[in-house]
Amino acid sequence: MPSLIDIRRRVRSVKNTQQITKAMKMVSAAKLRRAQDRAIAARPYATMLRRILANVAEAAANDPDAGAHPLLAVRPEQRILMVVVTADSGLAGAFNSNLIKLAHRFADEHRNAELSFQLIGKKGVNYFRRRFTNIAGTHTDLFRRIKYEDAERIAEEIIARFSAGDVDAVYLFTNEFKNVMAPVLSSTRVLPIELPKSAETVDYIYEQNPGELLGSLLPRYVKLLIYRAFLESVAAEHAARMTAMEAATNNANDVIDKLTLLMNRVRQASITREIIEIVSGAAALD
Amino acid sequence: MADTLHIEITTPEKLVLSRDADYAEIPGKDGYMGILPGHAALLSELGEGKLTLTTGGKTESFTVAGGYVEVRDNHVSVLADSVE
Repeated sequence: MPSLIDIRRRVRSVKNTQQITKAMKMVSAAKLRRAQDRAIAARPYATMLRRILANVAEAAANDPDAGAHPLLAVRPEQRILMVVVTADSGLAGAFNSNLIKLAHRFADEHRNAELSFQLIGKKGVNYFRRRFTNIAGTHTDLFRRIKYEDAERIAEEIIARFSAGDVDAVYLFTNEFKNVMAPVLSSTRVLPIELPKSAETVDYIYEQNPGELLGSLLPRYVKLLIYRAFLESVAAEHAARMTAMEAATNNANDVIDKLTLLMNRVRQASITREIIEIVSGAAALD
Repeated sequence: MADTLHIEITTPEKLVLSRDADYAEIPGKDGYMGILPGHAALLSELGEGKLTLTTGGKTESFTVAGGYVEVRDNHVSVLADSVE
């Protein structure tokens, strides 16, 4: 049976941990709000760019001079670039591990293809660096403050590799933020680009011809997809951490309750034992 | 026909401005364009230069670089890479 002092010590230690998890939850909540605001702020641009792209793509498709753009070229997927967006830090529940699992499963399914990786976030870097050799690039510490330029730079690297024919397809693995409870895993093909469909066709006056416009729109669209993935991932990360820390705080409460109960039992047992000793001692004298 | 334009300037990071104006002068890739209310639907690449909005005789200007401009139903949407 553990002694009273041991149990007290454990209760104190659990309480300390609980304080940390509680603080982390609060910090994550604040960061989540900021991340959400940024994601919302980026929405108008995304909506408009998608609408313009859909219209231009349609116009370019009707324009015989436009020709096929290299970023739309569908080739047999023999060399695949996987872009995996994880967080830089852990303690966010299954946030990183689920995504890594998803990406790893994809890699297993495409064993026949030549895979290469573009890793964003420390967690993914640490995992894949040990298991795969073909790491095209790693980026860490982008998420403290997400900048469009970072997304732009990474997108340009990806575009360059795709247009040079180094890779036949680019897939993006990321956590999307749908609600606070759980992130939604997503794997999407970024390149070759799947053009968004337009809800309505507008008969624009084109200052430049649609083919030329499409040529400059497509890389922008890829950049936007990457940037959006970052924003979503960060919001989802903070949400996941908040949920995980909330669970940890509640769990600590349960542990403290259990330990307190045990402590009282131990105390009670020792009191009972002492009384028995006194009583039997007194009885022996009679 | 509405008699004002609604201007929206956005960058990938945020909506910079959303308000009404009487006249907009926009640096297209192939030269400046003046947009008045009632302009036909137009789509152009954005060049680098000064975007000037005129509202009730007052003007306000921004330096924009790279992106697109869409004009439609008196809505002018400017998608710029950078705005200052």
